[in-house]
Amino acid sequence: MAADPEQTSESAQAEAPPAEAAHLGDARSITDSALGYMSLEEMLSELLERIRTALRADTAAVLLLDEDRDVLVARAARGLEEEVRQGVQVPLARGFAGRVAAQAEPIVIEDLSHAEVVNPILRQKGIRSMLGVPVQAEGNVIGVMHVGALKRRTFGEEDIAMLQLAADRAALAIDAARISEQRAVTEVMQRTLLPDALPEVPGLRFSAKYLPAGSGVKIGGDWYDVLQLTNGRLALVIGDVVGRGVLAASVMAEIRTALRAYLTEGHELGRVMTLLNDLLVSMGRHRSATAAILELDLEHEELEAVSAGHLPVLLMTPDGRAGFLEQLQGLPLGISAGQEYVPQLYEFPVGSALLLYTDGLVERRGESIEDGLTRLRSAAEDPAAEIDEDASFADRVYRTLLDESPLEDDVALLATESLPLDRQLELKLEANPAVLGGLRRTLGRWLSSQGVEEEDLFGMTLAASEAASNAIEHAYGAREASFAVCCESDDAEVRVIVSDSGHWRETRPFGRGRGLGIMRALVDSAEVERGEQGTTVTLRKRRSKKDGGGT
Amino acid sequence: MMGLVVKHFDGVPVVQPREDIDASNARQLRDELSRCLEDADRMVLDLSETRYVDSAGIDMLFRLNDLLAQRRASLALVIPQSSSLTRLAQIVALPSVVPIHETVEQALADRSTPTGA
Repeated sequence: MAADPEQTSESAQAEAPPAEAAHLGDARSITDSALGYMSLEEMLSELLERIRTALRADTAAVLLLDEDRDVLVARAARGLEEEVRQGVQVPLARGFAGRVAAQAEPIVIEDLSHAEVVNPILRQKGIRSMLGVPVQAEGNVIGVMHVGALKRRTFGEEDIAMLQLAADRAALAIDAARISEQRAVTEVMQRTLLPDALPEVPGLRFSAKYLPAGSGVKIGGDWYDVLQLTNGRLALVIGDVVGRGVLAASVMAEIRTALRAYLTEGHELGRVMTLLNDLLVSMGRHRSATAAILELDLEHEELEAVSAGHLPVLLMTPDGRAGFLEQLQGLPLGISAGQEYVPQLYEFPVGSALLLYTDGLVERRGESIEDGLTRLRSAAEDPAAEIDEDASFADRVYRTLLDESPLEDDVALLATESLPLDRQLELKLEANPAVLGGLRRTLGRWLSSQGVEEEDLFGMTLAASEAASNAIEHAYGAREASFAVCCESDDAEVRVIVSDSGHWRETRPFGRGRGLGIMRALVDSAEVERGEQGTTVTLRKRRSKKDGGGT
Repeated sequence: MMGLVVKHFDGVPVVQPREDIDASNARQLRDELSRCLEDADRMVLDLSETRYVDSAGIDMLFRLNDLLAQRRASLALVIPQSSSLTRLAQIVALPSVVPIHETVEQALADRSTPTGA
């Protein structure tokens, strides 16, 4: 060790121990287990102070690699605090630290004035000689630790070994901190990015699963979504952003939000996909994604689907046979602007089921994708015998396919089963005009299932919609207000009863303007009861002879 | 914007909503429709693809008709006889105020002045 007499530290002066013993002491100060109890910031700072003392250096710093951008970012420093304050960034393979990281080897510079330096602070400080070593975790460079001296000196083998010891100690702490940070981020993102509750739609049963691969430390870019559109239609979404980690997840969050916005605005599906693709390309995230969007029209028992390079959606027909939606595939999102996506129509009769999924469900190492899809089809048609019948469709398929083997990739799956409506239907709806379209579609389906013909179906549905509109108006301004719709039928008539509890507000005369007149003209009888507890409207329509008389 | 398909025939905007007209969107639709008029003296609102129009939607149609009249323009509706909306239109006496046609072609061909405008 090339000790500079002018640079001797106080501790070295006090005891003046033999070189070897001093080294042992220095090594102990660096591997000190007490460092493990500090926060990462404190620990790095303390470690740098100890290494600066041990190597009799003037400065010490740690830079960490930002993998997504290939730059080293100053994280902690002693004698060089500005480096952290100013957020110094050094591109990989450039400058002193950049070269240490790129080569994954220690580098000694005796005279900085002849070397390429990116960071201006090193020169401003007047640093003359430097030693840098890579900070490595599991064989990958995650950063650089370096020390500097104001006077020219030579760093020897022992200095390199000592700094490497400190770098390894730092690597352990950084890795541990990163894992716990990733876990926290992963948890929060998964909680916020996946819908917390799937909507309740009469005649539909949703089930969904999201399973991170392996340790679950790195969040994936898989997602699913369900949203209610105007007109009572529903959109189902599945998608997968290439790669894993926080960046993939944040791109997924951007896509998910943009998709919700475009769908809510009422664009048709092909247009939604084109807009989304153009947005992703223009943002320059350099991450591509596959996605499929389906729009369900339960009233007409149809669905529309569009795909941007996503695996085919599985459709189970009422006879229990599973197949895949044959689709015109568009290019994955985020690759090239101006793409056209062509949606296609499919039948979706009551008794059908859909399964939207990401590749983790079907892809196995050393197996073709066709084999994976075949396995998926048989799992849907013929779930494992030990799975009980109450398990959701998503659960049955998932457990049949993946119960045993560890996941190699994230899996997201969303299942939607179309079920017949009950003879009696009870709905509780949010007091918001946005629910009216969905209510009319549900009523239309229910009336049709009760054998009511078009003219009466239209009249009853619109009359009930008027009553609902009135209930919503009563609840205006109340938080989390709701109203109820109850549908009953017998051989003589069908009844729809709409009730609110609008006692929080001075009740206005029913149906300002035309509402009441329209309602009365469309059904056989419309009774309005206004009481302490709110307003109840009972609408009745006698069955005409040609009606089926209920099923 | 909502699902509106706007086409022009000889400068006359022909607008087709692709969804129901109700309390959730009537006001927004009225604003969008009055913007669609631009400098034209007529507008055709094609309701042949619209399943339901509620009382808020009917109010909107009457107000839109008034708005257009103030701008010296007229409104014509397309509601095919087979549509359930025909019955609703009769109930609220819509045809006495706004001319109703079977097809877009007929609406465009009819240059008579509506009685209520």
